Amino acid sequence: MLATKKTLLACVSLITLLALLAACGPTPEPQVVKETVIVAGTPEVVEKEVTKVVTEQVEVEKVVTPTAPPGRDVIIVGLSAAPDTLDPADHRNRQSETVVRNMFDGLVTRDSTSGVHLELAEEINWLDDVTLEVKLREGVLFHDGVEMTADDVVFTFERIILENMIEYPEAHTSPRKGLIAPLESIEKTGDYTVVMHFSAAWPVAMQMLVHQQIVPKHYLEEVGTEGFVAQPIGTGPFKFVSATGLDEIVMERFDDYSGGAPDLEPVGPACVRQAVFKVIPEASTRVAALLAGEVDIIQGVPAELVDTLAQTPGVQVKGAAGTQPKWMEMNVNMAPFDDVLVRQAMNYAVDKELIIEAIYGGRAVALPGTLSPYNNYVNKSLEPYAYDPDQALALLADAGWTDSDGDGTLDKDGQPFSFTIDTLEDFRPLAEAVAGQFRAIGIDAGVRFWEYSVVKPMLQAGERQAYLDDWGDSAFDPVGHFEAKWHGFVEGEPYGRGNFSGYNNERVNELIKLGEITVATDERQALYDEAQQLVYDEAPAVFLVLPEEAEAARADILNWTPASDSRINLHDVCIAP
Amino acid sequence: MRAVKVIERMLITVPIMFGVAVVVFLFMRLTPGDPVDIMMGQGGAVGVGEMERLRSEFHLDEPLHVQLWLFLKDAVRGDLGYSYTQKRPVSELIAQRLPATIELAAGALFFALLLAIPIGIVSAVRQRSLLDQFSMAGAFLGVSMPAFWLGIILILLFSVRLHWLPVQGRLTFGVSLEYVTGFYVLDSILTRNGPALVSSLKHLVLPSVSLGAAVAAIVARVLRSSMVEILRQDYITLARAKGQVEFLVVMKHALRNALIPTVTVVGLQIGTLLGGNMIVETVFSWPGLGRMVVKAIFERDFPLVQGSVMVYAFTFVLANLVVDVLYTYLDPKIEL
Repeated sequence: MLATKKTLLACVSLITLLALLAACGPTPEPQVVKETVIVAGTPEVVEKEVTKVVTEQVEVEKVVTPTAPPGRDVIIVGLSAAPDTLDPADHRNRQSETVVRNMFDGLVTRDSTSGVHLELAEEINWLDDVTLEVKLREGVLFHDGVEMTADDVVFTFERIILENMIEYPEAHTSPRKGLIAPLESIEKTGDYTVVMHFSAAWPVAMQMLVHQQIVPKHYLEEVGTEGFVAQPIGTGPFKFVSATGLDEIVMERFDDYSGGAPDLEPVGPACVRQAVFKVIPEASTRVAALLAGEVDIIQGVPAELVDTLAQTPGVQVKGAAGTQPKWMEMNVNMAPFDDVLVRQAMNYAVDKELIIEAIYGGRAVALPGTLSPYNNYVNKSLEPYAYDPDQALALLADAGWTDSDGDGTLDKDGQPFSFTIDTLEDFRPLAEAVAGQFRAIGIDAGVRFWEYSVVKPMLQAGERQAYLDDWGDSAFDPVGHFEAKWHGFVEGEPYGRGNFSGYNNERVNELIKLGEITVATDERQALYDEAQQLVYDEAPAVFLVLPEEAEAARADILNWTPASDSRINLHDVCIAP
Repeated sequence: MRAVKVIERMLITVPIMFGVAVVVFLFMRLTPGDPVDIMMGQGGAVGVGEMERLRSEFHLDEPLHVQLWLFLKDAVRGDLGYSYTQKRPVSELIAQRLPATIELAAGALFFALLLAIPIGIVSAVRQRSLLDQFSMAGAFLGVSMPAFWLGIILILLFSVRLHWLPVQGRLTFGVSLEYVTGFYVLDSILTRNGPALVSSLKHLVLPSVSLGAAVAAIVARVLRSSMVEILRQDYITLARAKGQVEFLVVMKHALRNALIPTVTVVGLQIGTLLGGNMIVETVFSWPGLGRMVVKAIFERDFPLVQGSVMVYAFTFVLANLVVDVLYTYLDPKIEL
């Protein structure tokens, strides 16, 4: 009797367990589904549409997206991080721009690389070095049907440059003011004409204006910032529908859209009816969501998954030229890196091609010095430091570093050549590969991982030996990048904000300052050529690589081009019928 | 009497919350990292004086005691400040995300108890049987598996391969739901929305399993040990001798007493479920508080971290109070 009861109890428990497992199972209800099957194994990828009755889980080899798509005129994008806000003037966050630029247009916009094109501006004329006249397109409508005029443009820029113009949640100044710091004032000179006055010549103006979008004066005055962030209105290709805590942002096509930049095809309203941004912070989950058919496009495909995804039927992977060059800065004020020969030797010791193949699957380029090869002012005469371990050893020997005791590690005055590469977890594979290559020539290099905020004060105090990191240059111009990275550190100023090598060359500093205000392109090029050559020769860093930014999409997504500046341009994207 | 005691205990949370507020405030300020510098990022230009202006806007240029005073002064009025990066009131951001976190914790707890109680009982009753050994090995595995690993494996199996359950989020896009409480399952029931109920439950399964696995394992082991102990007691023998049905002996006499230590453990695990959900929320893209706090910590968004940690602390204190009250029901000899 007792045994029977025990068995009964065990059975009850088991049934509970089984029921739980079964709850995870499919419901085999017959249903008619339409699915796109991509037949693998043929020389070409063949797509065919099938209609069949599904009574059980159908096993189709290598079919990646058998679940019903969310609706063929809705496109869902998996973002790697949430935007901070939908107010174009109240953030300093790249991801916010990614989303916002689908709802708001700017005076100018950028194509998928570094080209700037007129968008809401019909004509732009420099009246002199510090005065810019902008003629606006007529007939451009905000999402509420009101026409955009010069008043909106003046309001937009004054909201950014004047103090305490944003009243919610407390009165504060736009964090984007610094991005157009030289803009002193803006005035309306006609219903569709404005004039901007700058404090000094600002050669990078066009590239920087890309990052400011026009907001409606009438609407903001009516509902305030609080109302505006809850229901934003712009002149962009999509109008806002809803947002769930900015983790899911739903937009729908604006049928009266002005069309975007006239010289960037396609022009006109967006192709898809609805566009959705979903935040999926974990890279593996983003990839899984794409494979499971829950999203159509994902950003931030990790380098190690690019090849696998590219070979997966039903998925396409595309890369855009990256904007975050990676290097290992060396503390020029601390031995052994206070010797330029040592720093140059370190550059010759790294096999960048091997790293590009092994870590980035070939989807990266070697850096020809400080700037990305895609920067508009890159010094075209510079080639990446070649991989030449013999040259590295010869330079090190000239600097006094040899393996005098035969223990396999270079030494000088009885001290072994030993140092630590400080870096962040994000750069683990790269840092470990670089350290391995230094060890191969007899340098005892280790790697230590930090949180950026913790290590940064130590770097700026010159307490660390070497730091591997990147620094963005999404404006494709040396301004902003050179100031932060290769100018000597100046307390309380933006100069040297990200300079972790302690490098401080008076001539380079001077060239950087001249570059900020020189308008003539060839003169500017000459200034930056010289600056790049100096930094290249003095090698305060081992110039490493610039990986591509990879994005992936379902195979039926058409007209999709990842952009270098992280904009995801959903206006152009269509879904194959 | 019990109600008075409960109110007394609730009042004690006030000084606890004050202490938590001060400690979190000081720890955040003492951690290296400048919120303004992080906010400026890498790209673009930074204007001269711009960073100073922002520091002054966030009162970061004031001495520490002044900053603390400003924070506490606002906090007692229920104003937790506004997020540096998201530019919205902290209380609003927390209120928006807390239901998701609680819903996930509840789902995980439900899963954990559903699994642990039968396993614990059966293992104790059938001590050293194959089932016992198998269950305890499973429990050991449950404790040892990191949630992020388990989560990704579950996604690959049940979402990518089998297409049974969704990969991420709380609701399938296109399923509409009228928000009442912010708890999607509850809202679906309240608004009698069948598709939303199915969708929200399906979305809840994998994160709950990932988060609840370790809790299930711990609870099963604790329950088994206390059951084994109690099944040896004289009153159990007496109950059996009186001819009591074995099912009732186990469920009525043994289980009730074995539940006291189990409830303690479950109470403590609620902290793990709320605090440990950051990883699971990230893996499953669950829009809860944990994910927001992690981001806020990296961005040194002080007001948002302070507010969120205070909410965590309050929930933890509350969970302990509930456990203490439960004791009095399980064992009338225990007083609050």
